[in-house]
Amino acid sequence: MNDLQQEITQLIIDTLNLEDVTVADIPPEQPLFGEGLGLDSVDALELALALQKRYDIRIASDSKDARQHFTTVASLAAFVQSQRDACAK
Amino acid sequence: MDFQIDAWRAWAPGLDSDEAWQAWSLNPVRVADGDTQPACEFLPAMQRRRLSRLARMTLHVAWPLCGESEQLPFVFASRHGETPRTYALLSDVADQQPLSPTQFGLSVHNAIAGQWSILRGQHGESVAIAGEADTFEHAMVEAAALLSTGAPAVLVVVAEEYPPEPYRDWIDDVPFSYALALRVRGIEADNSKQAGARWQLRLEPNRGDDAPAAWPHALQFVGALHQHNDTLVHTWKTRRWIWQRTP
Repeated sequence: MNDLQQEITQLIIDTLNLEDVTVADIPPEQPLFGEGLGLDSVDALELALALQKRYDIRIASDSKDARQHFTTVASLAAFVQSQRDACAK
Repeated sequence: MDFQIDAWRAWAPGLDSDEAWQAWSLNPVRVADGDTQPACEFLPAMQRRRLSRLARMTLHVAWPLCGESEQLPFVFASRHGETPRTYALLSDVADQQPLSPTQFGLSVHNAIAGQWSILRGQHGESVAIAGEADTFEHAMVEAAALLSTGAPAVLVVVAEEYPPEPYRDWIDDVPFSYALALRVRGIEADNSKQAGARWQLRLEPNRGDDAPAAWPHALQFVGALHQHNDTLVHTWKTRRWIWQRTP
């Protein structure tokens, strides 16, 4: 797990108030929604808001890619990294 | 209105046992509110993540009063509701911050009744009411209405949360956070073997100058249950509510 993945996992735990869950409990490749961690659509909205605040990025809610980005911690980290890279150019 | 109170449970910071409430009812004091809340460990962590403090208090007192496979109408009563949530959301609006979807979604008076229904698989009636200082008695009127339409028993929860600092000049009837759950049913014709406390609640016009009750009515009632008082009179504006134990 890289630093960004770890940071995002902690953000998920804090934002969604997941008691008794530690970073180690959410492997980067584990699905976050449905089977897997068990998050739902309200969590997705909450998480999108937290990511936008933390990383100052835009997430279009109607984007077809959004669902892809939110699949796992790894895909979220890759998305955040790509947004950062785009801004750095 | 005549009720049989089959079971009841109360919670406030530091007051989480019969012994503690017994002691409080002998010597009622304003307990420090702090931020303690019931753990609600009967629920898996994933199901606790959206429970506010008031929701936890409500679930904590109501949970053991409803059987596993039982369906009970639910009355949730709170004069002020979740003032800390309201204040936090309004602060975000004032600061032009985006609102948390979770907080916004739960910022309705019947949110806790909804969470109860989901977490306990309850499909029946539920009602969320807000009254004045006699919200407790109005909750009992709701319960009486549900009983009169044939419900075998009704679960009533009265819950209030200590307000955030900016509201304290206006909210003067919540000395500390508390929740009380009552499981009530009607008095049956042949109930000589029924256990539990029987009470009659009457409403009269308040013509005198009786001072309002020293403590929130629900807490006065917890005190009366513990001290085996037979009568309680709660006046508020034009209303005079008389609680009387019946044989």
